[in-house]
Amino acid sequence: MKEYKYFGTFALAAFTLVLAACGGDSGPASTVDESLDNTQEVQDFYAANPELFTFASMAELPTDLVWDDGMDQPEIGSPNAVKGGTYYEFLEDFPPTLRGIGPDSNSSARNWIKDNYQLTWAMAHPDTGEFYPGIAEAWSIVPEDNTVYIKINPASRWTDGEEITVDDAFFSFFFYLSDYVQAPFTTNYYRTEFTNITRYDDYTFSLTVPKVKPDMASRMLQIPPVPQHFYKEFGEDFPERYQWRYEPHAGAYYIDPDRINLGVNIVAERLDDWWAKDNKYFKYRFNPDRINMSVIRDTSKRYEAFRRGDLDIFRISTADMWYDNLPNDDPDVANGYIHKTVFYNGGPRSNWGLWMNSARPHLDNVEVRLGIQYAANWDLVLSNYFRGDLERLKTQDDGYGEFSHPTITARPFDIELAQQHFANAGFTERGPDGILVNAEGERLAFTLSTHYERLSDIFTILKEEAIKAGLEIRIEMMDGAAGFRKAQEKQHDMYFVSFSPFVFEMYPRMWAYYHCDNAYDQPFLEDGSVNPDRKPKPQTNNLQSFCVPGLDPLIEEYQDSDDAERMIELSHQILEAAYDYASFSPGFVEPFYRTAYWRWVKWPEYFNHKFTTYAYDQMIHWIDQDARDATMSARGNDEPFGAQIVTYDQFRAQ
Amino acid sequence: MKFFHFNPQTQKKLRRFREIKRGYYSFIILMTFLVLSLFGEMLINNRALIVSYEGDLYFPTYADFHPGTDFGLDYPYEVNYRELSDKFEQEQSNNWVLMPVVPYSPYENDASTGIFRPEPPDATKKHYLGTDTTSRDILGRLFYGTRIALLFALGFMASVYFIGVAVGCAMGYFGGVFDIVTQRLIEIWSNIPFLYMVIIVFSIIPDTFTIAMRILILLSVMVLFSWTSMTYYMRTETYKEKVRDYVAAAVLIGSSNTRIVFKHILPNVLATLVTFMPFTIVSAISAITALDFLGFGLPPPTPSLGELLKQGTQTLRTAPWIVMSAFGTLVVLLTLVTFIGEAIRESFDPKKFTVYK
Repeated sequence: MKEYKYFGTFALAAFTLVLAACGGDSGPASTVDESLDNTQEVQDFYAANPELFTFASMAELPTDLVWDDGMDQPEIGSPNAVKGGTYYEFLEDFPPTLRGIGPDSNSSARNWIKDNYQLTWAMAHPDTGEFYPGIAEAWSIVPEDNTVYIKINPASRWTDGEEITVDDAFFSFFFYLSDYVQAPFTTNYYRTEFTNITRYDDYTFSLTVPKVKPDMASRMLQIPPVPQHFYKEFGEDFPERYQWRYEPHAGAYYIDPDRINLGVNIVAERLDDWWAKDNKYFKYRFNPDRINMSVIRDTSKRYEAFRRGDLDIFRISTADMWYDNLPNDDPDVANGYIHKTVFYNGGPRSNWGLWMNSARPHLDNVEVRLGIQYAANWDLVLSNYFRGDLERLKTQDDGYGEFSHPTITARPFDIELAQQHFANAGFTERGPDGILVNAEGERLAFTLSTHYERLSDIFTILKEEAIKAGLEIRIEMMDGAAGFRKAQEKQHDMYFVSFSPFVFEMYPRMWAYYHCDNAYDQPFLEDGSVNPDRKPKPQTNNLQSFCVPGLDPLIEEYQDSDDAERMIELSHQILEAAYDYASFSPGFVEPFYRTAYWRWVKWPEYFNHKFTTYAYDQMIHWIDQDARDATMSARGNDEPFGAQIVTYDQFRAQ
Repeated sequence: MKFFHFNPQTQKKLRRFREIKRGYYSFIILMTFLVLSLFGEMLINNRALIVSYEGDLYFPTYADFHPGTDFGLDYPYEVNYRELSDKFEQEQSNNWVLMPVVPYSPYENDASTGIFRPEPPDATKKHYLGTDTTSRDILGRLFYGTRIALLFALGFMASVYFIGVAVGCAMGYFGGVFDIVTQRLIEIWSNIPFLYMVIIVFSIIPDTFTIAMRILILLSVMVLFSWTSMTYYMRTETYKEKVRDYVAAAVLIGSSNTRIVFKHILPNVLATLVTFMPFTIVSAISAITALDFLGFGLPPPTPSLGELLKQGTQTLRTAPWIVMSAFGTLVVLLTLVTFIGEAIRESFDPKKFTVYK
């Protein structure tokens, strides 16, 4: 029927999208072209960059090195762990590629393709933050020479059985520095963060960095090598050629590209004879034989799949999910078929909050920013939306131990103070709709842009409460990529977002957030005065256009310092300045993660390690296949096992 | 009905429409709702209808906001009239407040437990259909959401018909090269995917636009891509009418083209036009609801059926009243319009007694 035409068009478009996403059932083709071999090109590259690539002999290796093998750390996981079974996971979306680098590789599925199991030279221990050996067997850090010496474990193997040698460490530089890889950020990182790699023998090499930082070890030890034998065909057509090939890594699971069900399902299988399976730090981890990952795009569908038993673990991120959808008196929970866990973890915190762009009209006035700080009712968000479970974020950089500020707290919701500050900025009268106006008749209205549609209720609360202080917040809900691009191009008034630090990140990133260089294209004129025509600089994370001239030298000193004490001091000074500048309204922080899982998923008695962002980070859980069957049959007969709702607060900050 | 001079045939059609009870009553119900909804602020609102304070009468519904200080409260932001009403009652003063039937605005969060979550229908709290996931009154949101959807659909229909009829009639009347060229252009134009255009246009609208402006833009985009279907019908109908004697007569006495098309031909093809109207409305409501459901429609926190439906699907287990209210409203609304459409079609059918063999 013609009159349904535009609706039909729309339905058709939706249907096409679905079709496109589901297309094809057979595994993707991945033919190896034997005729291609870039070995010579690689050698030429080494020869052309003698300052970066040094070939030495064992005789030249310093003899006074103190080797650290990291074997003094506590074990990870539980001795009770049993190998076997299948662990069922979901993918938010099907990955557009199996590559770990290059175009489209930064998909939500990449964790389960490789990141969760791949090993680096050494890894940070999830309890202590110290290093334990991965592919390396020992390492030696010599800060005076800006160098780390690494001995590769001769037993280490790629998932395809090939030996890991220094060649692969060298090749990683060729790989990442090459334009073929099409990953400018990584290329730039390798170009600027390393000055030399030296080969001593097949298993011994060293890495040198331009400047020493307190976290030098983590920057150099926590990078993986790249399998040279796999990338023989690496060239200009890399993204297409390697689109559906599975890069070998040193971890316990591999994915057979031929068995991938495109658009639907991926299965990772454990290597029976994994080289590190008896290693102290790995023997109780990576327990399931298979990890079965299916695409389930919608959260409510994922939840239903979990309730059916199709998924083993379900991360509970919202209060209504925890209290209403899966309450403690739900039959499955009360009978003990599904267990619920709250685990307080450690580490740096995501900085959820409002990032005000101080380059925008009116927001360049600190009084307006202060007013907004007092007009943002995060307290109500915490108590009414998060039901008092979460805590208020204090500053933009919480959870970095001593680097975080010890005393600063976020400003509370206070209508009186908000109005005072708005009045100082000239907004004294309330217009007919209750919004403040200034003498020129401009309304006190700003746009809050964000791409977190799932948290949209929070913005509604902030909006309604801000009206009380005479501030109008217009909510602009954007699509993920478009939204963040807007913020990065500094087109926003306020943006709601958080930057998630790595779990082992040692100190806050000050330069990225607070340096004038990241705020404006030309912040100052020749004579050092503020450039009146400066434009906000796009594509940086300084979303606040934060620029306090006197602060830049401190940030640079902080950036270049290798002295942790001094850095702590500087960090506090910078955070105080940021507090006074008031362009970041701290939101909330989640000091724990909540998990629901079926009874057949087993965990160590302490549940998890301190520095984990989620329960499966360290892959220490195991599947009890007998319990799976027993639970399902008990569920059919209503036989109770006893509820298990546990809070693990051993790592809770006081 | 004295404003219009309907010809006897049209009067006959209207009479027949009234005889088809199902459609006729549907029409009356829908019109009643539409008229009521235009004064919705007096039925569902958190602003009082009348406040009597210290001997003065205030009518806040359509007036400027009153800060709390106007009525002896200690805050500078808008009065909470429900609390004011309770306060006056407790003080047993001569002051009083008359609240609307449902004393909630569609935007305000009213959580009885202090936690924003859906609460089931409760007549004592005057949340007759319960509250949504952030404790906003569902009846209020449905009411205003439906009003927006209906007005949107009416505006949509009027615009689509205006453009569609004008272009369609012109094509049919002038024919020839104009007809062929315009037809090809329309074919190309109608192949531009409408959903993508909505997404693209919405991503470039400056955020400083008011919500009303954004709704208007959404309307324009939808009209821009929907007027084409109407032209086909008008074109054929006009072709048919053009060769009739009365058109030739009009040409002979020197009527202008515009006059012939709109004064002579259009009334004669009205039947086709009118029968399509309800279906256009149905599809406009469905489209705006679907867009809202997908998150590309009306900007939050505008109340809308699609947004409620989306909430409902996410809380199927915990708060079934959300999806029931939204779905129920949609079903009733679309059924009413369809009944009307059916009745119109039947009453405009020249063959009163049709026998199917």
